[in-house]
Amino acid sequence: MSYREKENIVNIFSSIVITAVYTWIIYQKQLAGTIDLTDDFQKWGIIFLIFVGVSIVARIIIYIIFSIINAIATREEKIPAEDERDKLIKLKATRNSSYSFSVGFIMAIMVIAIGMPSYWLFIFFVISGVISELIDNGSQMYYYRKGV
Amino acid sequence: MSKSQIQNNIRRLRFDAHEMTQQQLADEVNASRQTIVAIEKGNYSPSLELAFKIARVFNTPINDVFFYEPQVEKTK
Repeated sequence: MSYREKENIVNIFSSIVITAVYTWIIYQKQLAGTIDLTDDFQKWGIIFLIFVGVSIVARIIIYIIFSIINAIATREEKIPAEDERDKLIKLKATRNSSYSFSVGFIMAIMVIAIGMPSYWLFIFFVISGVISELIDNGSQMYYYRKGV
Repeated sequence: MSKSQIQNNIRRLRFDAHEMTQQQLADEVNASRQTIVAIEKGNYSPSLELAFKIARVFNTPINDVFFYEPQVEKTK
């Protein structure tokens, strides 16, 4: 398995774990009554911003750990440079990811349009964000395996 | 994913060049070994620039390395 494929697996794993843990913490706070997210848009905004920060830091840590483990396992210290095929694959995967996020965005708007509570908008944003990221990394793995 | 219609003689040219490895060729053209593997298998059509770089490594015209082979539709 190439370095890029392993990198994608790590990305899929980290996005699921980070989102699941953060969502679980926020949900527990909601259940305990520490925060009320039913109609508070400002709170949702803060939670999203914190999530972005937490996600970036966690990913950097996971990536460093992955690089160390990979270097020990393969005895290759140098991270392979990105070539034109890598860039093309990334571009196509980003296209697929953008399409899927667009569908999620429209669904979120539709949910509001049919009169469901406003917090569903944010829940759909989170779900479509995670799914689009999984599609991004999944597409990259597909193109690496099957060709582009 | 369908195979590329651009086929190549890279495997033979590597053999003729004192069994040059895929990694050696990749290093010469600043690409990854996986990209060379994909090109050899016909799973990826390289850019014109990369194609010229590969031809240059083997010191041969580009049409000796790559050639166009249209896919023939299967008859029922």
